[in-house]
Amino acid sequence: MDNTTQFLTIVIFFLTLVVTIIVTQFVRRRRSLYTLREIAAFQRLPSMIGEAIESNRPVHVSLGNASLGGESTVVALANAELFYQVTRRAVIGTAAPIFTVGDTSALPLAQDTLRRAYASRGIVSSAPYSSARWYPGGGHSLAFASALTATVADDKVGANILGGSFGTELALVGYAAARRNQSLIATSDQLEGQAVAWVMSDEALIGEEVFTAGAYLGESSSQVAGVVTQDALRFLLILGILVPTIITLGNTFSSGSFGAAVQRAIDFFQRLLGGG
Amino acid sequence: MVRLGSALATAIVIVVGIITFLGLVVGNGLGGLSTVINAFAFPTIANAFLQLTVITVAITVLIGIFNLVIVHLGRVFGRGKPFSQRINSLVLVVSAIGVIVLGALERAGVLTGSPSPTTVLLEGVQVSIESALAGLVLFALVYGAYRLMRRRVTGSGLLFTFVLLLILTGALPFSTPGMRLVGIVRDWLMAVPVSAGARGILLGIALAVTVAGARILIGQDRSYRD
Repeated sequence: MDNTTQFLTIVIFFLTLVVTIIVTQFVRRRRSLYTLREIAAFQRLPSMIGEAIESNRPVHVSLGNASLGGESTVVALANAELFYQVTRRAVIGTAAPIFTVGDTSALPLAQDTLRRAYASRGIVSSAPYSSARWYPGGGHSLAFASALTATVADDKVGANILGGSFGTELALVGYAAARRNQSLIATSDQLEGQAVAWVMSDEALIGEEVFTAGAYLGESSSQVAGVVTQDALRFLLILGILVPTIITLGNTFSSGSFGAAVQRAIDFFQRLLGGG
Repeated sequence: MVRLGSALATAIVIVVGIITFLGLVVGNGLGGLSTVINAFAFPTIANAFLQLTVITVAITVLIGIFNLVIVHLGRVFGRGKPFSQRINSLVLVVSAIGVIVLGALERAGVLTGSPSPTTVLLEGVQVSIESALAGLVLFALVYGAYRLMRRRVTGSGLLFTFVLLLILTGALPFSTPGMRLVGIVRDWLMAVPVSAGARGILLGIALAVTVAGARILIGQDRSYRD
C-alpha cells in the first residue's frame, strides 16, 4: 500500500469514526427528528414470518458464502443482524428457524445468532443448535445452492431470507422456492447475485439496504444513528464526486480559467483565515 | 455480571480492532505516526492477531464437519422425518464419511494411482454435477424474469425486460444495419448506465461496510454485547 492510499484510508476511517460518534449522540437525544424512508422488503418481512408461523413451517435464513475473517466479514455481521431480527420473530412458532452457511467460519456466528434470538424471548434453553447448518460452499458454489434447494424442499420451508454472499447460483434457490410457493427476500454483496436477487425475490434488498436492518426491524436508536451516519457520509461522497466534476466541466468550457478562479478563491480564503 | 462481561468484550474488541487496523494500514512513510506505531510494535501484534484468526478459522472446519454429520444423522434417525429427507441426509453422511476415509487412505499410501481416487471423485462426480447445475441456472433466470412480470407489471419491471431483450438481441451475430444499431445501443447501455449503476451499488456497499466497521470498533455492534 503506497503512502497516499495509507493516508487516505486513515483519514476516511477516522472521519467515519468521528461522524458515527457525533451522530449517535445526536440521534440518541433527538430520536423523533429522523423518519426512515420506506423499504418494501422490511415492510413485507413481518407478514412473511407471520405466515410461516401460522402454517407451522420454518423460516430459512442463509448467509451464502459470507465468512468471518475474510473480505466479507462485515457483510456477514450485517446480515447476522438482519437474521437476528428475523429469527427473534420466528422463534415463537413451533417450527425452529433454519440458518444455513457455506463457510465453516460463519457457523459459530449462526449458532450465536440463534442463541441470542431465543435468549431475547427468554427461552434460550430451547435453542436447537442443529438448526445452524453448514453445507460445503466456496466461491459461486453450485453444490451449496443445490444443498439449499434440497433444504427448502425437505424441510417444507415457509419463508426464505437470503443475504450475504451469493452469485448467479442464487437463481436455483429462488426457482426452488418459487416452485413451492415459498416467499423469498434476497440480497448479495456480489453484483451478479444482487441482479438475480432483484429478479427472483418477492421484495429485493439492494446494495447497502441490508446494513440498515437493525434500524428498521429493531428499536435501538444507535442503529438509527448508523443509518443517519451512512446518509451523512453519502452526502459527503456526492460532494466529493460533484465538485471535481464541476471544476473539470468548468475548465473544459472556459479553457482553464474556471480552475484558476477556484484556485484564487481557495487562496483568498486561506489568507482570510490567517494563512498569509 | 452480564453487563460486566459485555463491557469486557467491547473493550477487547475496541483495543484489538484499533491495534490491528493501525498495524496493517500504517506503513513506514507516514512520518511521526509511523514512528509511534512501529515503536509500540503494532505491525507485529497485528500479524499475531491475524495468525490467531487463521488458526481459529482452521478449527471451525472441524466444527463444520462435526455439525454436518450430527445434523444429518439426526435427520436420518429422528422421529417423524419424511422419507425423502432421510434418504438425502443418508446419502450426504455416507458420501462425507466415504470421502474422508478415502482421503485418509490416500494420505497413508494405502490407495495409490494416477490420477488419485479423490481427484477422480472430484472431477468425475462433483465437477460434472456442478456443470449440469450451471446449465440449469439459465432456465431458472428465464423463469425469474417471467415471474417478475407475472407478479405485477411495474415501470422497473418493464424497463428490466426491455433492456434484457435489447441486450440479448444485440448479442446476436447478424450484420444487418438494424442489428448494428442495436449493437451500438447495447454497447452504450453496458458502458454508461449499467457501469454507473454497478459503481453506485458498490460505492453504497463500501460506504455501509466502512460505517459498520466503525460501529464495531466503537462497540455499538450487537453481536458481542448480548
